[in-house]
Amino acid sequence: MNTRPLMTMQVRVARVLDVGAVPYGTRRIAPLDGGTFEGPRLRGTVLPASSADWLLLRSDGVLELDFRATLQTDDGALISMKSFGLRHGPPEIIAALGRGETVDPSTYYFRTMPRFETAHPGYTFLNRLIAVATGDRRAEGPVYTIHEVL
Amino acid sequence: MTMPITARPLIVLRLTTSPIQEIGSTPEGTLTIFPVTGGSFEGERLRGKVLAGGGDWVTARSNGMMTLDLRIALEADDGSLIDMTFTGIRDDANRYFRTVPRFETAAPRYAFLNRLLAVGTAEIRAEGPVHLIEEIL
Repeated sequence: MNTRPLMTMQVRVARVLDVGAVPYGTRRIAPLDGGTFEGPRLRGTVLPASSADWLLLRSDGVLELDFRATLQTDDGALISMKSFGLRHGPPEIIAALGRGETVDPSTYYFRTMPRFETAHPGYTFLNRLIAVATGDRRAEGPVYTIHEVL
Repeated sequence: MTMPITARPLIVLRLTTSPIQEIGSTPEGTLTIFPVTGGSFEGERLRGKVLAGGGDWVTARSNGMMTLDLRIALEADDGSLIDMTFTGIRDDANRYFRTVPRFETAAPRYAFLNRLLAVGTAEIRAEGPVHLIEEIL
């Protein structure tokens, strides 16, 4: 698999809403109160409205992430981003993340597959690509390193 | 800390299809269904056959690219069943055909499939579509 860097995105989690036990697992919702993204071909901010991560802790201990965010580039384009991801790891590492501690991201699995939609002519290349991201969960919110799959 | 992305081979998936079903123009684009009649998959950690009954729902979009929505059932050589669904992009103008597969299984031996993300590269050969699928590490 060949990839090239697309961007690094840092988002801020405002608070986490505990929905609780739903038929498929334990649901939490993490609304975002903003963020930034930066890469060779695009940079800008993550809009707080309509951006959140829907987390589902499955019975096998894997956390499914269903992330939606609206990005605004520095030249005013709006980009809709959706990603599906998985996070899991050794229980003590996951517990440390839960306590908001800084954890080496190589000690757990946190990967997502972002997809983008835009109408802006300057960014239509985003409509045509598959991307893969590695995540680093920090106390203030995750940092994603997003790669374009070539 | 940002991290590079690495992958390792998971399976090579070969599909056989029967004549297409042209649904035609829908609100999303032009929909064509490719029924899957069988096939095989092979990798270091799993191998077996593709069961008949799945299909690939391909929508040709207004921007010239196609999106895939493929769902098939795999039967490993030990009889375990694995459900596989994938979405993807096929953009012939740019020779770009990449997929995002997902797996679900109840077989403990293959539970690792429930916990991974994968990326596929696909090509259409004379004998049918071939997908090279890699696990994202």
